[in-house]
Amino acid sequence: MAGRRNRNRKKEEYFFDYTLLFIVLFLLGFGLVMLYSTSSYEAALDYGDSAYYLKKQLLSTALGIGCMIFVASRDYHVWEKFAVLGYIVAVVMILMVLSPLGHEVKGARRWLRVGPLSLQPAEIAKLAMILFLAVLVCKMGKGIRTWKGFGLAVGSAIPICLLIWQVTNNLSSAIIIGGIAVLMVFVAAPDYKRFIGLAAIVCAVAALAVFLIVNNAKAQSEAAAADGITQAEEGIQSDAGFRGDRIIAWLDPEKYASDEGFQTLQALYAIGSGNIFGKGLGRSMQKLGFLPEAQNDMIFSIICEELGLFGALSIMLLFIILIWRFMVIANNASDLFGALLVVGVLGHIAIQVILNIAVVTNTIPNTGISLPFISYGGTSILFLLSEIGLVLSVSKGIRLNDVG
Amino acid sequence: MRGYKTYNRKKIVVVFICCTLAMTGLGGRLAYLMIYQGEYYTKLAEELHERERSIKAARGKIIDSTGAVLATNRTVCTISVIHSQIEKPEEVISMLVKELGVSEETARKKVEKVSSIEKIKSNVSKETGDIIREYNLAGVKVDEDYKRYYPYDDLASKVLGFTGSDNQGIIGLEVKYEDYLKGEDGIIYTVTDARGVEIDKEGENRKEPIAGNDLYISMDLNIQFYATQLCEQVMEAKEADAVSMLVMNPKNGEILAMVNVPEFHLNDPFTLLTEGEATQDALNRMWRNGVINDTYEPGSTFKIITATAALEAGVVTTEDTFSCPGFIIVEDRKIRCHKTNGHGGENFIQATMNSCNPVFVDVGLRLGVDRYYSYFEQFGLLEKTGVDLPGEAGTIMHKKENMGLVELATVSFGQSFQITPIQLATTVSSIVNGGNRITPHFGVEARDVYGNIVETFKYPVKKGIVSKETSETMRMILEQVVANGGGQKAAIEGFSIGGKTATSQTLPRGSGKYISSFIGFYPAEDPDVLALVVINNPKGIYYGGQIAAPVVKTLFENILPYLQKIDYTK
Repeated sequence: MAGRRNRNRKKEEYFFDYTLLFIVLFLLGFGLVMLYSTSSYEAALDYGDSAYYLKKQLLSTALGIGCMIFVASRDYHVWEKFAVLGYIVAVVMILMVLSPLGHEVKGARRWLRVGPLSLQPAEIAKLAMILFLAVLVCKMGKGIRTWKGFGLAVGSAIPICLLIWQVTNNLSSAIIIGGIAVLMVFVAAPDYKRFIGLAAIVCAVAALAVFLIVNNAKAQSEAAAADGITQAEEGIQSDAGFRGDRIIAWLDPEKYASDEGFQTLQALYAIGSGNIFGKGLGRSMQKLGFLPEAQNDMIFSIICEELGLFGALSIMLLFIILIWRFMVIANNASDLFGALLVVGVLGHIAIQVILNIAVVTNTIPNTGISLPFISYGGTSILFLLSEIGLVLSVSKGIRLNDVG
Repeated sequence: MRGYKTYNRKKIVVVFICCTLAMTGLGGRLAYLMIYQGEYYTKLAEELHERERSIKAARGKIIDSTGAVLATNRTVCTISVIHSQIEKPEEVISMLVKELGVSEETARKKVEKVSSIEKIKSNVSKETGDIIREYNLAGVKVDEDYKRYYPYDDLASKVLGFTGSDNQGIIGLEVKYEDYLKGEDGIIYTVTDARGVEIDKEGENRKEPIAGNDLYISMDLNIQFYATQLCEQVMEAKEADAVSMLVMNPKNGEILAMVNVPEFHLNDPFTLLTEGEATQDALNRMWRNGVINDTYEPGSTFKIITATAALEAGVVTTEDTFSCPGFIIVEDRKIRCHKTNGHGGENFIQATMNSCNPVFVDVGLRLGVDRYYSYFEQFGLLEKTGVDLPGEAGTIMHKKENMGLVELATVSFGQSFQITPIQLATTVSSIVNGGNRITPHFGVEARDVYGNIVETFKYPVKKGIVSKETSETMRMILEQVVANGGGQKAAIEGFSIGGKTATSQTLPRGSGKYISSFIGFYPAEDPDVLALVVINNPKGIYYGGQIAAPVVKTLFENILPYLQKIDYTK
């Protein structure tokens, strides 16, 4: 099969999505610059090396680019047979977090560590999920139109989601994987009603949860007030656990400035003080320890502070162009498998960008989601670049006279 | 294109559109945060990043009429700790205990307190500050600032006053002229990281301090010195409790010297001169300026006022003759003269020279309560003098409606009511200067640090409280008192000096405690300088004419040539 395709391509105009490649490379370069700007002060204080984070990220990026080139140069159909294996590997790796190989960073056990290498299984799971679902949906054919097929496709994501949520206590990754799965099934199936219904249920559940948590917190604070204890003294200690606390802090970060609302509020300070053109590259104040771990999930707020609304919107525009390229490639992919792979990657990146910016701007409750290509994180960059490699590989399969 | 349908493409477009919409929405949210709420968050962020440190303004100097600096500033240090920068808390604590003498408990509490900056001690000497600096401990800050310093230490201590830990005036001129002296503190705004470490590249924003204005006062250092010496001598010789002296210019109210021995140490004002616990009460007593804060029965010096009132009212003339049998009966009281066998026949001038009580009772009764009281008021005795020092005491006088003839009789020779020494000196000044009630004062002008006059102080003068004729008569009578009467011990050959002595028993009567005083002025014809000395509870001979008059004599002997009242070319 692959052989025939290659022969065909030789006769056709050769296509390669340079726009996509250059946007990704630009984002990588920009991300490294911002990472250095954001982390150098704290890195110099904590590790005596201002380039500590930059060096690690550079290594992952180089490795990632290697992976990207490797994946891009191969026909993406090669990966079909690894779908089930990938799924199983992802599940095993998530479970291995519980083993002695599991590694804890700041109270969250989400990493696997072998020697100097550390890996976040959730990032592997995302790629595995994309591959597995693409293969599954293609195998089903028209079966996806039935309730059974729909249930099977969406259901295949549930074990991984639950594992990531419960084992690594990482709800945001679970949501992202669930989102990717739903998005892929949405594209694969002709139906709209089911998805609108699903969206309605999700919204309703989320609204109800927020409502209950807020009510509960109110009742608690009233009870505490009756006991003569203020919320500020006691911090927030609702029954809903730290997620509930985050929801309460989301609604009024200034009230909880000293605990749950702290990071969000610091991010808002950074964003708000950026104004239109920002303070200039490297001139962020909030990165000087005020916004802890700014190089991780909150890096976008430092971009806002240093480069202003102008810089922030430019980055968002780049991501939109990136997504647009994904759409173009998916729409012109030579088969459904390729298209679904691209849609999966699109979903992965789009969901993370949107959720990350939404968190940073306190549009949704705080949850740890990194900004693709820019946030610090080795596993993330490695797998994102592999996914880009996959998309580039799909783009190579496009025959130019098909492009509309 | 196996299994690849149009609806797939459509749905991909839908996904893209949804993503774009979501991004657009977030872009809008960003614009809202960065433009609409930008100012709010920028302000909050700046408050978070900025630290303020104040720079003390140099307090204005106090400078006397000869140009001598009586109060100035010395560099001292303030020691603070910055919690987030401390690396070795134990070393910091033990250093603070060792160098600053604070208790370990206090030091620990401050070092361990999570705050941006915690002040440990201010007014630490520069030497100690330098030593602490050499420890080079992270998180310990040594800030230099100013401390008040008084070069002459105990000279005019109760007049100048001193300042507190924040360089604010506490007593004396320091508090009265606080607004002129204090200046305006500057502020250093520094930008720091979350640990409180200053960010050098951000630079610092400074609001420069504005130094306080210098206060120029009418005090003459040399006269003050000499008067202090005389007071100390007489206090020692007569084992007195306290001796006060006031030297002023009766024409304009400028005070040249104001002494209250024992004086205290301005550079160490919180240590008592005597043994005992330094309670606030004890300190307040030590800081009291007797000339202004305390009242006393003036005694015979007050006969000047009675005589002036009587002459002004025309109830007596200098030629009127009296006969003193050694007592006078007023209603049911027998008031004795100090000369128990009586002065016999005498005219009014002689009666004043003799300080004859019955004559002054007679003259007082001739005036009557109403008139006497109205002169008392006219001379300004019911009001405060308005001297530019804090805490002036008011006159303690009978209410007019409660004043019977006995009260009138005793008031006539200076008893049964109380005034401050400054009140007596001011009233006598006003009588002998031609009838202008002047305001006694120290403050002449305030100049800024570059020497430009900021303000020349003006003081109210009430003209015509007595006629010029009466004023002249009084000068003549008082000159006679010194030349031939009870004030002879103040006489200096070749100098025309006017004056009046007084000896009054303190309350309760019969305690054996006396206050002896003398008020004198020169030249008698047109006085330029007036001095009042008040000796509190002298032992042995206690007559004002015997012990107080010589003090003023010695003072005049020495300061009159100094004040260039003598033309040596003649």
